[in-house]
Amino acid sequence: MTGPLRSGAAATSDVRLYKRLALVIIAVFLLLGTRLWQLQVIKGDRYYRRTADNFVKEIELPATRGQILDRTGRILVDNRPSYGVYLKPTQMNDAILGRLDRYLGLHDEQSAALRAKIAAARTRKGAERFQEILAFEDITRDQMGALESDAAELSGVTVKAVAHRAYPHGKLAAHALGYMNQITAEELSQLRDQGYGPGDYIGRAGIERQWESYLRGKDGVDRAIQDARGHIKTDLDEREVEDLIGGPRRRDPEPGSNVVLTLDLDLERITEQALSRHHSGAAVVVDVASGKVLALASYPAFDPNVLTGHLTRDEAERLQDDPFRPLIDKAVQENFFPASTFKIIPALVGLEEHFIDAYEKSSCRGAYELPGHAFHCMKSHGPVNLYSALVESCNVYFYRLGEKVGMDRMARMAQDFGFGAPTGIGLPGEAPGFVPTQDFYRKHGGFRIGYSLNTAIGQGSTKVTVIQEALAYAALANGGKLYVPQLVERIESPTGQVVQRFEPRLRRQLDIRPEDLAEVRRGLCGVVNDPKGTSHSAYDPSVAAEVCGKSGTAQIGKNRKGEAAGWDKANDHAWFVGFAPARNPEVAIAVLAEHGGLGGHVAAPTAMAILKGYFNKVKKPAQAALPAGGGTGASPGSGSGRRNDALPTGSTSSMIP
Amino acid sequence: MTSPFTKLRSQFDWPLAGIMLIIIAIGLVNLYSATRVAPKGLYQNQIMWLCVGSVLFVVVAAIDYRIYERIAPIVYVLCLGLLVAVLVAGKGVKGSRRWFGFGSFGIQPSEVMKIGLILMLAKLLSADAQELRASGLRMVAWTLGIILVPAFLIYRQPDLGTAGLLYIIGMSMVLFSQMGGAAKAVELGLAPVLVLVRLAFGLKDYQKKRLAVFLDPQTDPSGAGYHARQSVYAIGSGRWSGKGYLHGTQNRLKFLPEHWTDFPFAVWAEEWGLAGSLVLLGCYLFLILWALGVSATARDRFGQVLALGVAALLFWHVVVNIGMVTGVLPVVGVTLPLFSYGGSSLLTVMIALGLLMNVSIRRYSY
Repeated sequence: MTGPLRSGAAATSDVRLYKRLALVIIAVFLLLGTRLWQLQVIKGDRYYRRTADNFVKEIELPATRGQILDRTGRILVDNRPSYGVYLKPTQMNDAILGRLDRYLGLHDEQSAALRAKIAAARTRKGAERFQEILAFEDITRDQMGALESDAAELSGVTVKAVAHRAYPHGKLAAHALGYMNQITAEELSQLRDQGYGPGDYIGRAGIERQWESYLRGKDGVDRAIQDARGHIKTDLDEREVEDLIGGPRRRDPEPGSNVVLTLDLDLERITEQALSRHHSGAAVVVDVASGKVLALASYPAFDPNVLTGHLTRDEAERLQDDPFRPLIDKAVQENFFPASTFKIIPALVGLEEHFIDAYEKSSCRGAYELPGHAFHCMKSHGPVNLYSALVESCNVYFYRLGEKVGMDRMARMAQDFGFGAPTGIGLPGEAPGFVPTQDFYRKHGGFRIGYSLNTAIGQGSTKVTVIQEALAYAALANGGKLYVPQLVERIESPTGQVVQRFEPRLRRQLDIRPEDLAEVRRGLCGVVNDPKGTSHSAYDPSVAAEVCGKSGTAQIGKNRKGEAAGWDKANDHAWFVGFAPARNPEVAIAVLAEHGGLGGHVAAPTAMAILKGYFNKVKKPAQAALPAGGGTGASPGSGSGRRNDALPTGSTSSMIP
Repeated sequence: MTSPFTKLRSQFDWPLAGIMLIIIAIGLVNLYSATRVAPKGLYQNQIMWLCVGSVLFVVVAAIDYRIYERIAPIVYVLCLGLLVAVLVAGKGVKGSRRWFGFGSFGIQPSEVMKIGLILMLAKLLSADAQELRASGLRMVAWTLGIILVPAFLIYRQPDLGTAGLLYIIGMSMVLFSQMGGAAKAVELGLAPVLVLVRLAFGLKDYQKKRLAVFLDPQTDPSGAGYHARQSVYAIGSGRWSGKGYLHGTQNRLKFLPEHWTDFPFAVWAEEWGLAGSLVLLGCYLFLILWALGVSATARDRFGQVLALGVAALLFWHVVVNIGMVTGVLPVVGVTLPLFSYGGSSLLTVMIALGLLMNVSIRRYSY
């Protein structure tokens, strides 16, 4: 019936059609082949990495942060175990979240923030949606107990132990140590290549901030293979896993280094105890032979445990608005008028450049007259020489001296002693102070002689920090070596090996004749030990060393009236800066009581209490450990012998009673 | 009398059978890997379907296809009946009715419909050229009806992908028939009209989403575009020579969803790389060109159009599936012949290849 294919024209046209059809089919397959080549060869490596991103799950192994230790190795900052609540975002529902609110006692704001965090996590791509998020860190034992008792109803909620920064001594040395909190988004974008991740803690102030890179260590990572739903595959052998990952499966965390400070825990405690009798203030004790800071205190302080953790908004506002400004380090970050503590500067200029003879007397009748203005003294001192002017803090003597030596010579000497520039202690936000010159006044309304007079007694425009004062007096005490204050003694590995030791850094060797320095020191010793001395009321014979120093009472603008909790802000700032023992000084001290009143009556007793602590308590055990005498005492001998050495013998105040 | 199998033995088309066996073998090897993380029993099911398919292949090939020409309308109407029945009584899966369930096995009438359509169209289009041209408009209406009625029923399931595939297979056969140019133009011109009508009457939400994602893959990285993207990652990550058999991570770690039905090519390409992909592509090209050759040398007009229909079925399945897994076409549920898991798809292809073998062994008969 149906015959074979039609012959002739129809058949040949068919053959042409089939040939064309075959070519079209081949062309389409070539296109598919090209697409495969594009995917597998041109973009192959990129897609290979994409698939690896899909299945490699990285579990961060946080590095243990280094400790901060005092000079004898006692722990100042540590890590403690804490418990954080982690959630699987995909498993959360209103019932579970409601329970969490109740058990953790979240208030509305926190609860809303948590819900927003979960919603955000749910929109993440692929397996990331299944990743746990940190909902709440450092929960209390009670909170943990509540969560555990209801664990059956809280699927997708886990409590994990993580290390949390701990400051076992609370507020002690808070300003020097600093605190930590979570890294901000902005910092993260800059620091991501250094290994920081979201939610990481970072040092915010003090040593924690300045030594962050040493303390931090390096996080490790544990990699695992996960499937599309985020389940970890356990049925693969180790080699297979490493093959898939394309590298080692685990990198152990490297713990951070320990930072050993020059601070002494006991002296720090004594210093802060002594300082706490004022409303507000700061104190620094340094080793005169090296510039090592033995105590660094600012009062009142904050508790770093509160700032390192979930700081509530109320608490943050309270700290921020506190009139005593606990967040400011008044020893380092704040400038003050030096008042009479500055008198050593004109005194040294006068002696050094032969404007005065130390024994030459001039007369004080209670005021120094310049045309148009009288500059007043506390009282009429009668005839005074350098010694008695320092001991009794006679302003007229120094007005006259100031006029003689002039503004700029004092400025040069002040700068030589480290005023007007940061000391380089290596803490954040150090204030530089200010040393005025004639030039400065000319630029600000014109220079008058009166400015030199005010400068000579530490008023006017001169501003200093407490740490600058301590280092300047240390230089005076040690024969003219101005050190950079040193706060970090060494870096140790977690096992206690010394990684790096820091040597004292000399900032400047002052070119001043030793006898001139001795002359000024003699005056300072009289301030405390001479019955006429402004700080003699603070003299304490039980201190195992002879204390020398200068009180200061910085007058402040009387228009800045205001009171806070019995604190008269119209009151002057009280200073005492000095060194001890008189012969062969070991330590220099600077104490400032903000709006405390008269320096000799307010600040000097505080300094005395601190030094008593140092010489009678802190130093003794150290000496017992080092029978050779610790290198500071000039005369060998027993402890009582040293004590005798330190008593006012023939060296200073007894020469001119 | 000679048995129907005598012809099969004496004129057996060895290259056709050979390339079939190669693709089936590769497919089984690949499916073993693909179903390792799948529900249990899929691999065994597939082997069982292959046995059934082989029997069907032999039987379909053995019976002289001139008998099929006579019973083509009956087969076609039976298939249509199944399509109607599945709409009424089918098993709902993910919001559509595509299946008849028999215990743990299912049958998709829309797959079998392709055979009915190819047979029916072959009967109509194999008429005398003059007759075809003479019947003009009537023939246009007939062929259109034969294509569009099942396509519409499948579209109602809804299964837009299969409906579209049925349409392009039918149209391919029309295009290479001896119908007049004007008539072809009318039928082909219908496609864009239908698309416009579809868009005007609106797509289902999931269809809209797929289309939008295909046009702009960034719109929904974790939802509808996720499958397509993970498939492209899998293929690309195979690079030159693949990650090794059973070592495809996208497959093993379940980043490729339902990869044993629609995405087995991605599994293959991930584990065997460009080399493996091109080998497989070459096999399909050989098979399709061979089918074309069978058509060109067929004994009669019906055999010619029938073989062409089978070639069209194979071509469009391969191109749409690989286009879809490589991200150049939207994700529609079109299987890869002899490679995808699934009874209906496998049996349909085996029957189609049986028809092809049938035409091939009777080339020189009298």
